[in-house]
Amino acid sequence: MTAKPSPNRTELLQGTLDMLILRTLLFGPAHGHQIAKHIQRTTVDVLQVEHGSLYPALHRMERKRWLASKWEMAKDRNREFKYYRLTPAGRKQLAHAESKWKQIAAAVARVMWPASEDPL
Amino acid sequence: MSILERFLSQVFARVQRRRKTQEFARELQADLELEAEEQQDSGVSAEEARYAALRAFGNTSLITEDVRSVWTTGWLEGLLRDLRYAGRALRKNPGFAVVAILTLAMGIGANSAIFSTINALMFRPLPFTEAKQLVRIFSTKYGALLTPNGAGRNGGPSGMDMRDFARNSHTFEQMVAYDTWRKNVSFGEGAGEPEQMQVGLVPPTYFEILDVHPLIGRLFTEAESQPGKNYVAAISVQLWERRYARDSAILNRKIRINDELYVIVAVIPDVIPEWMESRGRESGTIQVWTPLALSGIWTEEARGARGFSTLARMKPGVSLEQAQADLSTIAAALAAEHSIDRDIGVSVKPLAETRAGNLRPMLLLLMGAVSLILLIACLNLANLLLARNSARQRELALRTALGAGRAGLVRHLLAETLLLSLIGAAVGLLLAQFGLAALSRAHPKNLPQLDSLSLDFRVLLFTFVVSIVTSLLFGLAPALTGTRIDLADALKQGGRSGSSGPGSQRMRRILVVLEMAMSLVLLVGASLLTQSIVRLEHQNLGIRADHLLKGHFYLPGIRYSDPAAITRFCEEFARRVRTLPGVVEATVTTAFPPNNGWFQMLGIPEHPATRREDIPSAQFGVADAHFLTTMGIPLIRGRDFAESDNATSPPVALVNEAFVRRYFPTEDPIGRRMHIGPPAFLNIAPGSDISDSSDVTIIGVTGNFRNAGLVAPPDPHITVLYAQHPLVNYGFKDIVIRTTSEPRQLAAEIGRQLQQLDVDMPFAEVQTIQEVVEQQTGGQRFTTLVLSLFAVAGLALAVVGIYGVVSFLVAQRKQELAVRIAVGASRGRVLWLVLKQSLTMAAIGAALGLLGATAAQKLISGLLFGISPLDPATFAAAAIFLLAVVAAASAIPGARVLRLDPARTLRQD
Repeated sequence: MTAKPSPNRTELLQGTLDMLILRTLLFGPAHGHQIAKHIQRTTVDVLQVEHGSLYPALHRMERKRWLASKWEMAKDRNREFKYYRLTPAGRKQLAHAESKWKQIAAAVARVMWPASEDPL
Repeated sequence: MSILERFLSQVFARVQRRRKTQEFARELQADLELEAEEQQDSGVSAEEARYAALRAFGNTSLITEDVRSVWTTGWLEGLLRDLRYAGRALRKNPGFAVVAILTLAMGIGANSAIFSTINALMFRPLPFTEAKQLVRIFSTKYGALLTPNGAGRNGGPSGMDMRDFARNSHTFEQMVAYDTWRKNVSFGEGAGEPEQMQVGLVPPTYFEILDVHPLIGRLFTEAESQPGKNYVAAISVQLWERRYARDSAILNRKIRINDELYVIVAVIPDVIPEWMESRGRESGTIQVWTPLALSGIWTEEARGARGFSTLARMKPGVSLEQAQADLSTIAAALAAEHSIDRDIGVSVKPLAETRAGNLRPMLLLLMGAVSLILLIACLNLANLLLARNSARQRELALRTALGAGRAGLVRHLLAETLLLSLIGAAVGLLLAQFGLAALSRAHPKNLPQLDSLSLDFRVLLFTFVVSIVTSLLFGLAPALTGTRIDLADALKQGGRSGSSGPGSQRMRRILVVLEMAMSLVLLVGASLLTQSIVRLEHQNLGIRADHLLKGHFYLPGIRYSDPAAITRFCEEFARRVRTLPGVVEATVTTAFPPNNGWFQMLGIPEHPATRREDIPSAQFGVADAHFLTTMGIPLIRGRDFAESDNATSPPVALVNEAFVRRYFPTEDPIGRRMHIGPPAFLNIAPGSDISDSSDVTIIGVTGNFRNAGLVAPPDPHITVLYAQHPLVNYGFKDIVIRTTSEPRQLAAEIGRQLQQLDVDMPFAEVQTIQEVVEQQTGGQRFTTLVLSLFAVAGLALAVVGIYGVVSFLVAQRKQELAVRIAVGASRGRVLWLVLKQSLTMAAIGAALGLLGATAAQKLISGLLFGISPLDPATFAAAAIFLLAVVAAASAIPGARVLRLDPARTLRQD
């Protein structure tokens, strides 16, 4: 992933990308491009998903059966796209990744800001 | 994901690979076009939009590669790739591949063949419904089986005991006692040549237990199991085809058994396997059955007449232990109630267990031997691979430098051995098929279980597992040592590290030493067995065993009820045979070495007895006056039978030396009188069992001859004239003929003479005495032959191994040897240096092998005769032989040393 050339550069791990994709799909099925655009919009351009990471991630998760895919006609464009959606295993994985992320974040916060009780 | 899920996902991924990667092109295209449209929407021109989209996405080929690798990673893909590379490597080295595959084929094929045999003998399911519930019931005395060896089929309880078992047990559905007897059979109303065959005397329950239904007709009824009403018979499909031409009106046709006519009421399908009813000496399936209708069985007096064959079916769900406990309880009650059943117990054995008979020691030995062969083959291959891997050091170093982990390298090397193993296994299976087919056709007569050897899925599975294990065994060592790579060294030009290093060389030497050790074990085993067989078959039988023919005939009681008639017939027959050209002598008797089996109790005044255990007894035979001269038995003292000893003169007897040693150790036996028959206090009615009751005078002492088999020493033996003992002058007789030339040539003529006297009488079991001996050693010879083959194969493999190692050694030490020669050492001494190395290895290998042979002695001692499993002469000879072979094998590459040109060698690098 890259960030726009701005002071808020963020580097994240591959597992985090998986988690973001899964979360995005919680709202409903989407195809690759839509997922990328959604993450970009929601993080206000802080995180831009490179397609070179996105597609391998999607296929990896499809192979692990966290996602299922289907070719469907897009509503507004007269064309077929490959839509991905969460499987029950994927939902479980999302919950799992989410709790791990919270654990890590809390641990990091304790190191960074030990005195205060503020959660990040 | 669990392991299974992971494996399945690998498989699915492979299956979907192409589809998914093709699909991705479409997916990417769709998204690209969408991006282009969005670019256009935000004002970029149409052509610019496409480039902008591509730029936004980045390197699409790279993305496609990455996606493809998602669907092609995983160890399965890696393995398949490695197998493909392995195939390519093998094709480039066809010489190595052929040698390796043949070596493997031999090892794996031999294993599959032996396992097939074991499968047929022990594991293959019986051809009956619910065969697990089929058992045989045996009687025991003081806890030991009555017929200990083989647990074949005889040795069951008496009829009355079986009836009580059937009535009082609750764990059995049905049980049956039956028997088989030799009878003269002719087909149709006396038409066609008669045959002597085993006839089954069976109640109808026999077939019900086995769930065998007649193809045509019906089973016997209970009413037909009574004497007088039992003249019905069932024949097999084989007999129906062979002697009745598949006549569709077969029912109600007649069959003549021992001169009595029986009506055929059923045709039974050929389901019952040969081993079930064969008795070892005679073989062949039973083809005729009649109801069991012996009058004497169901009386209290006959409660002691044990020895029937039995068959029983346990109720469904009943275990063997429950059935055994059930019958043991009943047996204990019977023992308490009837004195004749005292100390008699019962043993229940699954029918499947009686199939292997007494072949267990042979099977264990063969399994051990064949495993050794496989190990030797594996060691040889490991050696070959080690040698070959040295050439691949640079390739492996390159791979490591490019990022292959050690695990990946090992997998790569193992894939090659796996491929070799699988191909070797396939070829080995083919070899095994051929071998088994040949074996089936040539199987020894007393091993009928071997007549239906085939490959079934169990064998295939076993072969597959063996080949995997094999590939690990011979692939792992080279793979592990070959991947310990010193990168810098290996990549250097002309580097001679890795497999040429001392570590790998030592490994090869160790492997060769182990090969030779195992080879020696096989050699010792084969040698011991061969010596055993030779000794066994050239046993002094106590007679002149050359040029002797024997045959059996039976005079049925219906037409020969008077013993005098039997005597007349036998004497006339023998007289006619003696007049035939080519016949030196002939005698009609009841038995011939090495067996006898007929015992009589004796009343010897010098040895009075009051208890059963003290009653003197001896092996018993009846003959005529030509017995000693025909058999070639020496007369030690006294006189032989003469023509003047006949039905009206005082009864006389000949005894053997063992008899004299047991009963007259210090006195002269000649002239002493004895009573043949049980003593009065036993209260056995005369003639109700096979006992005589006359007095004889001993007139002569003969040398010992074998009467208790080939192995056991001769028992005391007494021979009398059948003409003088009508009570034991039965219709079963054998005739033994001494010929001038090849005995078999006279067989047909003698049969014709017999038929001239009685047209319905077959001349049966015609064999030479030599053949009788060979038949009894059939199983032994088979094992010896196979083990010898293995020994030769093992030795050949070891020779190939040593040849390879020595060649390599010589090549490696070329420089050093050249220097020595250049500096003045004689070529002989240099050759000796090389030979010394291989002979040292051979010596260590031989020592290890001798240790191994000592350790394995228990495995083989059961099969040996007349020779100890630790026979020092054999051990020494085998070791010397191995050393000689190794010396010869090393001499060939060693001879290259003699042709070394030191100048040229030292100049090249």
